[in-house]
Amino acid sequence: MPNKPFSASLREPVMHLNKGVIIDLHGEINGTVEVALNAAYDRAEAEDVHSIVLNFGGVDYINSTGIALIVGLLARARKSSRLLIVFGLSDHYMDIFNITRLVDFMNVYPDEQSAVAQLSQLQ
Amino acid sequence: MNPSDQQPRTPRDAENWAKSVDRLNVTGTPTGALHLNVQGRQTLSPLKGFGQLWQKTFQATLVGSNHTPAEIVRVWKERFPEFQPPENRFFPSVTGVKPGEVVLINASTPGGIMSTGVMVMYSDEDSFTLITPQGHPESGWVTFSASQVDQNIVLQVQTLARASDPLYEVAFRLIASGMQDRIWQHVLTALAAHFGAPAVVTLTKQCVDPRLQWSEVGNIRHNAQLHTLIYTISSRLRKLVRGNAT
Repeated sequence: MPNKPFSASLREPVMHLNKGVIIDLHGEINGTVEVALNAAYDRAEAEDVHSIVLNFGGVDYINSTGIALIVGLLARARKSSRLLIVFGLSDHYMDIFNITRLVDFMNVYPDEQSAVAQLSQLQ
Repeated sequence: MNPSDQQPRTPRDAENWAKSVDRLNVTGTPTGALHLNVQGRQTLSPLKGFGQLWQKTFQATLVGSNHTPAEIVRVWKERFPEFQPPENRFFPSVTGVKPGEVVLINASTPGGIMSTGVMVMYSDEDSFTLITPQGHPESGWVTFSASQVDQNIVLQVQTLARASDPLYEVAFRLIASGMQDRIWQHVLTALAAHFGAPAVVTLTKQCVDPRLQWSEVGNIRHNAQLHTLIYTISSRLRKLVRGNAT
């Protein structure tokens, strides 16, 4: 089965969900997507938001280099006192976020509705 | 929902990742290995330690190699301990470098012998990643990979880690960071030599997070260097007492 191309796009039109924006991730997250992933994060930061929400619902493959890129985003978020929120993780990727201990540092929600509800509470 | 957005039932990477474990479990100690500071310890992430978070990328190029990245990584996994410098002894389990397996480490450091280990967090045909447990000098991951770039093969070791506790952070700033760099340079040089190629190893460093995480200062209670030192001294004392008694 051919690999799905990676894309990371800000939800259009950019939704200012109580000072947060959603980045929809699709395809395979590996070392080759660093530029695209960071570019999407740059655009989200430029919106001057408190929270950046990553939607993993369309992700079908992550390798360890890809997880390192997520750590890089998390480090950037912590540096600038932003909240990095995640939703759409399948059970498998939830396991990966557990074993890599990313869940200790991210707010993880099962779906978009609960992630957005959390943003509402933060306001 | 667009059908293409739905998760496949079994993700392609499912077999590449270790299963989530609360604490590490070592099944059997390889001959000659000192086994301390791993059993029952939790794994750490690059975000969990105390010191500055660094990403270091070591690369060596095999020019015009006839080997594929998969061939090279297979050999790298199978003969992993052989590519280490003599002062850094790795003891994979009998199963080898596979997701979830623990690799024990006995390292000679300026502070004496240190017994620790790592767990294989991820492994595919072109790469594998080790994650450190509590007490290891670093909190984070190291990924070993090979990739085809034009007619060449690029061997890479990439660490994403921070010192686990304040003692290690001081040691890294004074001496240990350079020592560790030399370990990975040695590994790449030895691997390249195995495939009959000379290697010039390049190193790129990036400080991902310069802050110290004072909330993690308590990690020092797991410090493998200190625990091994205490074990070594107490076992020598026991031998001494037994010798005097006879």
